[in-house]
Amino acid sequence: MPSSNDRPDVGQLWRNWLVDTERQWNSFLNDVMGTDSFGRFLGGYTEVYSMFQRLVAQNMERSLSTLNVPSRSDILELSERLGGVEERLAAIESNLRALAEAVGHPSQPAAVTQLRPRRTRRPRNQPAEAK
Amino acid sequence: MATVRTPGKTPLPEFLQTEVVKRNLDRAQRGMDVLLDRDPPVVGATPKEIVYSKGTQRLYRYRPMTDEVYRIPVVLVMSLISKPYILDLSPGQSLVEYLLREGFDVFMLDWGVPRPEDSRLGLEYYVLESLPRNVEEVQKVTGEREVSLLGYCMGGLFTLMYNGIFHDAPVANMICAATPVDFDGMGLLRRWSDRRWFDVDRLVDTLGNIPPDLILRSFEMLRPAQRWAEYARLVDNLWNDLYVKNYRLFNRWIYDQIPFPGEAYRQLIKELMWENKLMKGQLTLDGRRVDTKAITCPVLNIMAQYDNIAPFDATQPLSTIVGSEDKEDVILKGGHVSLVAGRNAWFRLWPKLSEWLSVRSV
Repeated sequence: MPSSNDRPDVGQLWRNWLVDTERQWNSFLNDVMGTDSFGRFLGGYTEVYSMFQRLVAQNMERSLSTLNVPSRSDILELSERLGGVEERLAAIESNLRALAEAVGHPSQPAAVTQLRPRRTRRPRNQPAEAK
Repeated sequence: MATVRTPGKTPLPEFLQTEVVKRNLDRAQRGMDVLLDRDPPVVGATPKEIVYSKGTQRLYRYRPMTDEVYRIPVVLVMSLISKPYILDLSPGQSLVEYLLREGFDVFMLDWGVPRPEDSRLGLEYYVLESLPRNVEEVQKVTGEREVSLLGYCMGGLFTLMYNGIFHDAPVANMICAATPVDFDGMGLLRRWSDRRWFDVDRLVDTLGNIPPDLILRSFEMLRPAQRWAEYARLVDNLWNDLYVKNYRLFNRWIYDQIPFPGEAYRQLIKELMWENKLMKGQLTLDGRRVDTKAITCPVLNIMAQYDNIAPFDATQPLSTIVGSEDKEDVILKGGHVSLVAGRNAWFRLWPKLSEWLSVRSV
């Protein structure tokens, strides 16, 4: 009489089947997707996708302009200008800090720059040099 | 009055206490958690502060966890196409946390989520402008001249390009993880972006930044059956807390894609996918040649054997194109993500990384 250990584990069989099936499907589909014709199909899809996006953008721009509402490109332009202002501010701030440090009045450093751990750590198998 | 039990018939309360029922109830509850995204796992939780920021890009410094750290700080350079929390996934499963506990001073360069106007940013911006500026900030904060750079995926490409252009760059050590250099080995991704049928100019000129969906779908197509098999495995393992937690963590990261800056994408396709210029030593950025043979610092090249995004054939030649004498290849089983954040990473890669880096960071 077979012992319970000899009984096939259905769960394990299913898991093995899943791994094999996944591998086979991946391999089969990769073969299909590696052909020139699939490449051309994908290229065509990207082309249609781009064209569709362009048409939607153009129509939206026209409609928003008719309604006297700022379009995406207007907002982008504004965002770009804001970015420029931010950068100028950061540069001015940095220059002011450098100036304050130069005349001996360092501005309050950020908390993270105050962290000064000792930089003397050595690897475990390399003991610290004797002082 | 004593209860009389009918032989062979299990009363309901006892039946509910059986292992099988408990396991299935657990499964159902965890399944609902996943479906409804209840109590999503915490990611990127290691305490950090911003040291420097510009536009969407942030340089973080993680709070050191030891009183004494190695002299040379480590700067993690992220890829452009994904969020950085894969390197700081979850408490106890975080490369950043591991490095901090091992006594490293860790910084992270996160490019952020590109805004529509960032579509004009090319590789020149990232390699010639931003990376050097961030290294300067690390130098300022730590007071150390040298840094170790650890680039993941495209972040590795950036560190390689940076080192190949600035020969006097203060890079003490360079670690590249899942970094493709030989684009002839990019497999299906190269085939799909073949110049005969892929009009990258039209795509970038129309869309600006490449939408995250397009990138995610192309990665998914590399292993089309994986997603369904993952679902089946999840159902099978719904009783397993750790499995479900990891499934949710990894999936959150995988589907949390960000747009790819248009101009950088155009360059990546034309200069690297089509011409393979980095491998041939012909890549120039703003007229400056990327001379990888001039890189002489110690180099650690970490690769995954079954990586489908940066295949082994594309990552393996990295150590052959650098001029360093001190270089080492580490090949692990697993894929693109599990390389840096899976079980292989916890037990094999991270200790190896710490060991390699520690003797070179004093």
